[in-house]
Amino acid sequence: MPLRGFTGRLAGGWEAVKQFMYGLTGHEFARHALEMRHEMEAVFMVVTLGDLIGVPILPPIYSLRLLPYVVPEIATWKRNMARRKEFWEREEYDMHGV
Amino acid sequence: MNTLLAVIIGALTVYLAYTLYARRIDRNVIQSDPKRATPATLYMDGVDFMPTNRNILFGYHFKSIAAAGPIVGAIVAATLWGWLPAIIWLVLGVSFIGWASDYSAIVLSVRNEGNSLSAVAHRLVSPRTRTVLFLFIFFYLLLVAGAFVGIMATVLESQPRTQFGIILLVAMGLLLGQMLYRWRTGLVGATILTVGITLLAILAGPLTEGIFKGLNAALNGMTGGAPIVTYFDPTLAGFKGAEAKIMPSLLFWAIAICVFCYAGSVLPIWRMAQPVVYVGFWITAMAMVLGLGGAALATFVKPEVAQFQIPAFKGWNPQMGPAGIMPLWPMLFVTIACGAISGWHALFGAVGTARQIENEADMLPVGGGSMFTEFLLGLLALLAVSVGAKGAPVGAFANGLGGFISVWGVPLQYAVSLAFAAFIVIVLVVTQLLFRVMRVTLTEWLGEVIPPLRNQHVASFISIALAILLVLTGTWIYLWQLFGGANQLMAALSLLLVTVWLASVGKNWLYAGIPMIFMYITTVAAILVTAYNIYFNVYQPNLAAGRTLPVVGSGLMVLVAILLVVAAAFIGIDGWRAFMRYLRRPAPAPKAAPARG
Repeated sequence: MPLRGFTGRLAGGWEAVKQFMYGLTGHEFARHALEMRHEMEAVFMVVTLGDLIGVPILPPIYSLRLLPYVVPEIATWKRNMARRKEFWEREEYDMHGV
Repeated sequence: MNTLLAVIIGALTVYLAYTLYARRIDRNVIQSDPKRATPATLYMDGVDFMPTNRNILFGYHFKSIAAAGPIVGAIVAATLWGWLPAIIWLVLGVSFIGWASDYSAIVLSVRNEGNSLSAVAHRLVSPRTRTVLFLFIFFYLLLVAGAFVGIMATVLESQPRTQFGIILLVAMGLLLGQMLYRWRTGLVGATILTVGITLLAILAGPLTEGIFKGLNAALNGMTGGAPIVTYFDPTLAGFKGAEAKIMPSLLFWAIAICVFCYAGSVLPIWRMAQPVVYVGFWITAMAMVLGLGGAALATFVKPEVAQFQIPAFKGWNPQMGPAGIMPLWPMLFVTIACGAISGWHALFGAVGTARQIENEADMLPVGGGSMFTEFLLGLLALLAVSVGAKGAPVGAFANGLGGFISVWGVPLQYAVSLAFAAFIVIVLVVTQLLFRVMRVTLTEWLGEVIPPLRNQHVASFISIALAILLVLTGTWIYLWQLFGGANQLMAALSLLLVTVWLASVGKNWLYAGIPMIFMYITTVAAILVTAYNIYFNVYQPNLAAGRTLPVVGSGLMVLVAILLVVAAAFIGIDGWRAFMRYLRRPAPAPKAAPARG
């Protein structure tokens, strides 16, 4: 039991070191990749469902057909849009909202 | 004194301050509650607000706050006052002020829905505080950018062995961006290739030295060996002051750095800024880890590189230039910035990190832990310059760090090359990011009033041109101290916001309030002393000699110093009023965040 406890702690420590190294190196890339994908999705959402946030677009039939697929994203997207001065502007990624 | 003892002092400082003081404040004053929902969990959007594991966030936050600050500050302070005052300030600063500032900025944001410092200031203090903060941030970035460009151009020009490695670093950064984001190569393979080539190029520096010496000579030959600008520099001739010359080769490297920074500022961040920072991080981390380990082992393995060579104490007020004063208080406290306390940490922590805090129990290990790690980086720089001793301040640092690295069996010549390159790399990658943030700040601050500033090229060009003007004064130590003053003042303002917030929610505000008062008074005094030094040591001698560019540059520095003090006064007055208002009548408690799960 004590041996397992020791190896368990060792494994936990190694896992923490790996996570720390990932934080030092890859996390920034992962965040930026997410940011880029998020921006593309935001453009898609404005083009197809912009009327939900008051952007006057024609409601094409395709928007209604897409609606079931984007429902989980709508709340996050609207919250994100609401933080912008204008819907077409965004804070620069590297400004981090300073 | 030897390096082993200093490393033991550093380790004890971290352990005692963290366990005996920081944890107590976290438990008794802030009362961090693991069950309280954080903004990351409440407003998760998968981008900005995203709950992140504490170990990952620790690494991320440390990388974001660790830059050239702890290195340059320690080098200058040890040169001016000796190693003893520097180590005392590092230890006391991080134990009672530094961790409190970093940690509290994260707490402030987490308890205020993930808002930035300026947004909290807008709500808690006054609307104009946000505008003043923008002005403050822009000028403080300008100062550090000017100091860094000046340092880098000087080191690159005088150390031709470093130039090949730096050129390859930029090329490898561009390649890495292309590989990761366009060719979708795996991170590990791309890292091994690009970092490996950069490292080889750095180590091959002594072999390419002749080529770049030839380039410098050819550039200087264009004017027949005559300087482009001559100015009076109070930092030369053992700080007695002497005439200095900007040669064509120095201007060439300064312009090359600016072109690089311009590209880093206007290109998409994935194309250049981010991958260059990443490659540079590995080079610097390698040098620092080998250096810190070498410093600890040197006493046993290679005692000749472990003994301090510079005096412990050089005096309370060393003379710099004909009319300069450099009193230990307040100047030491702004010269060593990031290893003891830094405003940048608070700025970044309040937004970049706070919005990823998954659990309130992570706020101390991430915010406080990163600051203590940064302290160790500052300590390493201080040790390196204290044992290096030979050459100009940066040269002494590189010699010392090279000595530590050589403990691992690396030939000294190559170890010193790696140390020089690590220094330039960390400064270079930070400078391109500085110009990027300056450009964005300028747009955010004045873009509505002056529409051309919304153009990224215009904003970048203005930022770089102003920095170059400061570089032409030739006194990077004053620029550094002015930046240090602004940076520490930023930390004081962040602590001011924390104090006002603590008063507003009826908590004990002393742990933030007392350091805030000390830092506020110290930094305002330091900025005024620096302005005095620049006026009498740089502006007047150059005016008397009829040199236009140094006069304009130093005049701009004095103006910036006055602006910073005025901005700090506005924020201080508003903060004081808000503080008294909340002391008399605490604000209603913020709405309780829903429990998780």
